[in-house]
Amino acid sequence: MTSTASERSDLLSKLGLDVQNKAALGKVLGTGNIGQAKESSDGRMSATIRINPDELCFDPQILVMPHGGDIELELINDDLNTHCALLPSNGDRKFIWLVNHSRGRATLNLDGPGYYWYSSPTGNDEGRGLTGVIVVLGDVPPEARLDRPNQPRP
Amino acid sequence: MTVEYVDAGEAINQGELSGKTAGGEIAPPVVENLTYERLLDARSEPHNWMTYYGAYDGQRFSPLDQINTENVKRIGPAWIFQAGTSGIIAGTSTYSFEAAPIIVDGIMFLSGWDGWVWALDAKTGVEIWRYKHAIPFDVSLCCGNVNRGVAVAKGKVFFVTANAHLLALDATSGQRVWDRTYGDVRAGESATVAPLVVKNMVIVGSSGGEFGVRGHLDAFDIDTGEHIWRCYMVPKPGEPGSETWPADGEAWARGGGNCWLTGTFDPETNLLYVGTGNPAPDFDGEVREGDNLYTDSIVAVDADAGQIRWHYQCTPHDVWDYDSIAECILFESDGRKLLGHFDKNGYFFVLDRTDGSLVQITPFVDRIDWGNITRDGKVTRSRYPEKEGEPVHFYPGPAGSKEWTHAAYSPRTGLFYVPVQDVGATATRRRREFKESIPYWGAGVQVDIEDMRGSISAFDANGEEKWRWRNELPMCASVLATAGDLVFAGEPSGEFNALDARTGELLWQFQCGSGHHSSPTTYMVDGRQYIAVPVGWGGWAEGFLPGMLGAGHGSALIVFALPEQ
Repeated sequence: MTSTASERSDLLSKLGLDVQNKAALGKVLGTGNIGQAKESSDGRMSATIRINPDELCFDPQILVMPHGGDIELELINDDLNTHCALLPSNGDRKFIWLVNHSRGRATLNLDGPGYYWYSSPTGNDEGRGLTGVIVVLGDVPPEARLDRPNQPRP
Repeated sequence: MTVEYVDAGEAINQGELSGKTAGGEIAPPVVENLTYERLLDARSEPHNWMTYYGAYDGQRFSPLDQINTENVKRIGPAWIFQAGTSGIIAGTSTYSFEAAPIIVDGIMFLSGWDGWVWALDAKTGVEIWRYKHAIPFDVSLCCGNVNRGVAVAKGKVFFVTANAHLLALDATSGQRVWDRTYGDVRAGESATVAPLVVKNMVIVGSSGGEFGVRGHLDAFDIDTGEHIWRCYMVPKPGEPGSETWPADGEAWARGGGNCWLTGTFDPETNLLYVGTGNPAPDFDGEVREGDNLYTDSIVAVDADAGQIRWHYQCTPHDVWDYDSIAECILFESDGRKLLGHFDKNGYFFVLDRTDGSLVQITPFVDRIDWGNITRDGKVTRSRYPEKEGEPVHFYPGPAGSKEWTHAAYSPRTGLFYVPVQDVGATATRRRREFKESIPYWGAGVQVDIEDMRGSISAFDANGEEKWRWRNELPMCASVLATAGDLVFAGEPSGEFNALDARTGELLWQFQCGSGHHSSPTTYMVDGRQYIAVPVGWGGWAEGFLPGMLGAGHGSALIVFALPEQ
């Protein structure tokens, strides 16, 4: 039996899907928090992503950018173990090592629209829950759109 | 007590952690003086493979003959480049190595899946630089996370991304010079094509024919990235060809006709010869009555004006997914300027490339029962998904008697060498409402997993079959012909073969460990000839060979040569 949207959070908690070593072995992907990047008046986007103690999950796990472009991330490891982050960016993926109680930075350039995975590629951090998503909102530039009437969408 | 955080610093490019030696990340400027004039005369530089097909004529023929019928049995791996994959990527289970490696004066430029481009030392395989474009996980891909290669000219490397960007990179450093978006991912558009440089333009087509888009071909200025022209392959109401679409409604706006493979070019006619994709929805023709121009066509586009000069439609009103995207191989015969085209519908077309008039048509596969085409080009269809919910089996299946992978032509033998897939499929028409970005097939489709076969078949320009090398499995990779009178062809089960171009005799074979679905090329460095083949099974395997959906992926470029002594 599936849950309604309003029941989802309670059911995740009841079943133990959103924590470590309760229902599954790790925290199931897509059960973390959602956050939005900040955009300053000059168009610069920024966000902070944390790894909280013993959660083995990025917080927010789903980060939403209002549009494509450059974003500056602050990455904070508050966990008592060492992790890292491999992040999508045009040109090359960005890698940073995050020892216990450390703080680093990453500047990413991403196209929109669409979403991208990132993770901590060490051991099986990815499977335990340290796999996150960056969602980029918006549309492609007008010149890239098809010359046709507006079409129905799902 | 507050403890200060350890400063982890700034994230670095992952490529810095790939074992490169300091200073080794800059390639020599081999592309700096690569001009249109040199591309026109590409065969005069047989040590290089400078365009997707090796030359504008699309023959996939190399004048190199160091490796030949006498000594090919002695070739072996010279080096291997293991691309690998990590993390969660678009098409995690469907990525495939489908590129044609480009080589200029000892440097190889190679694209992979998911936005990868590499510059490699073509003699040693050592990576010089890499570029990785970030590809959205949720981009619409009908047929896997794939890319068919790069183009090079005037100091730049050009390639497209799955989210429909065209990029120019600095060929020495891999740094981005310009980036243009030329497709709408919200409409289901994507890009997989290897660009073609013509004059001062880079030509690219769009993908997305299974999502009800409107296919197009675009030209960009290679220096600035400025958009020069766009040529739609489905006309708007009132334009020439629009009478082949329903007068009411918006079937034309979702009509497909994508140019998802690289075209060929004749500087004398100034025409680009481009194959167009299937109409949409693929299998439900009732919602788009008419011939549906310019889908499933060979289209001649004026390179400067970006306008269609003539067309020849191979499958009018297609309801089998028989794209005509296959290469148009340019050749001369009896003083005539001709083009040869092996279509997914199972027929080998030869046209006069000056005006598109038909010269000859011949079937090139044993089993064709979707209909038939007479010698004078009259098309009659007999088996197709007509009634809602009623399964119909037909040959060839939607991947075609030859998929996108390319035939070759040797001017030494006067023969075409075609990879043949003899596989059927069952389609059951299931009408659905059009919604942007949702697959728009109009049927349930299942390709046969039994009773299949394949071959490398050799035909002359008159359509006469001269020899056939038979295989238990369909042949799903491009063929390479050389002046060593060899034909190289990879198998789905991993074998890479060298055949005698005059007899079809198997002369050499090497098991590469994964299936072939790419375009091998050849080149020479310091007097040594190399054969390069990207190996990595995947892509639209459920379409062309579902019986091998469980085979291992692989992601290696393997380069062969004779022993140095």
